[in-house]
Amino acid sequence: MDKISELMDGELDEPQLRQQFTRLKQEGDLVRCWQTFHLIGDALRGEHPLSPDFDRRLTERLAGEPTVIAPRRSMVKRVTTYALSAAASLSAIALVGWVAFSDNLLAPQAELAKASVTPSASAPQAQLASVPSNGTMNEYLIAHQEFSPSTTIQGLAPYIRSVSSAQHVQGR
Amino acid sequence: MPFRICRCLTVAILGLASPVLAADAGTGQDGLTWLKKMASASHRLNYSGTFVYRHASQSETSRVVHYVNAAGGEFERMETLDGPAREVIRTNDQVVCYLPESKTVIIEKRGKRRFPAMLPDRLTGVPENYVVRVGAMDRVAGYDCQVIVLEPKDKLRYGHQFCAEASSGLPLHARTFNEKKEPLESFVFTELTIGGSFNRDKVRSRYAAKSRDWKVDHSGFPTGEVAADTGWVLTQRPTGFKKLTELKRSIAGRTVMVSHIVYSDGLAAVSVFIEPLPKSRTAKSLSHQGAVNIYTRPIADHLVTVLGEAPAATVMQFANSLEFRGIAPPR
Repeated sequence: MDKISELMDGELDEPQLRQQFTRLKQEGDLVRCWQTFHLIGDALRGEHPLSPDFDRRLTERLAGEPTVIAPRRSMVKRVTTYALSAAASLSAIALVGWVAFSDNLLAPQAELAKASVTPSASAPQAQLASVPSNGTMNEYLIAHQEFSPSTTIQGLAPYIRSVSSAQHVQGR
Repeated sequence: MPFRICRCLTVAILGLASPVLAADAGTGQDGLTWLKKMASASHRLNYSGTFVYRHASQSETSRVVHYVNAAGGEFERMETLDGPAREVIRTNDQVVCYLPESKTVIIEKRGKRRFPAMLPDRLTGVPENYVVRVGAMDRVAGYDCQVIVLEPKDKLRYGHQFCAEASSGLPLHARTFNEKKEPLESFVFTELTIGGSFNRDKVRSRYAAKSRDWKVDHSGFPTGEVAADTGWVLTQRPTGFKKLTELKRSIAGRTVMVSHIVYSDGLAAVSVFIEPLPKSRTAKSLSHQGAVNIYTRPIADHLVTVLGEAPAATVMQFANSLEFRGIAPPR
């Protein structure tokens, strides 16, 4: 417990930090302790670094992210991956909470504004730029054509896409 | 007197305008009839001609010959006329692409006689997803043709315009537009002969004999394809797209069977391919070829490739809502 308050006050060196983060990941009581200490600190200073319900909304946003459900080669690998990613998210939340907290002491308004902009900027997936096809998908394109009603209407002509010179020059 | 002149003019103007109005007032049903007529003509007629394929700022000219023999067998040969020589030969259910420059042959063995028999089923989605309009008459490659316009009802699909030869229905031009009505891709005949007797020589490959020592890209699976439950489902299927077929199939150049699921809105098709994740490809990528968008992303130990004549956002929606539900145990 004492270590947790030292951690909050930034009095630990790096090896000790790692040790405490490991404990935080493993012990649910400590996490609640950490949250309560921050709440007390915030209340004492009369600050509200994070809006009410921040954790609930963050959880909802995370739940709204597309879930990757697909078969894996081995069960062991899946368990480790999930465990790792769970650990990673926990430490990320801890880090975000810590950064937001310490930054808020210095410049509460500006940092809060910055923090609220960051997640939305990284959210949309449509930012991936489309490039002209380089021909590596020709086999799939050819396999697709036969099912396309446009091929039914136009005959062989759409197959020109699969052997188009632009992609032929770049690919293969 | 001035009043009379005025009335005459009005009548004259109305008289001029009315054929256009009448042409524009074609019902959706007429448009669908034209679509079926085009599909049927493409497969049943003998024709040979030159067409120009335009996409982005590029254009390519190709020669195409299509023959149907007495037994209903379909033979087609397409050869590009500019740039490196490339040839596509269709013999009934097999399509072979010859790429002389890289000495490559791609062989795609297709399923048994899918169309035109399947077409009426496929067109069922058209009126739900597009406003079909019979437009004015036009003229392409010396033939009078009927314009048919398909406007998408939402942003999940592209707009299309065809011009079908007035008597046979053979499509003389086909254009695809994006949501801003900018052209994405077009196929237009510049010269065409409809009819003529069957001549096997005209649809024979120029490269078949020379290509004996070329690299042949075909699948190592004699089975070709089997209808199968791949275990993959869409959690958010884009509106208007229905599943056409679900297969486990061989793909040229792939050493393993690939899952292939096809969705269609009646006119556009989107294919979903799922293969084991190769070591070399793990990043997401988005590319396009004319009106076809191609999106690739890894999902766990699999590589998912979605492609189709639909906007990039639609193609990505397919890829992003794909989930493995597992295969029902055999009873």
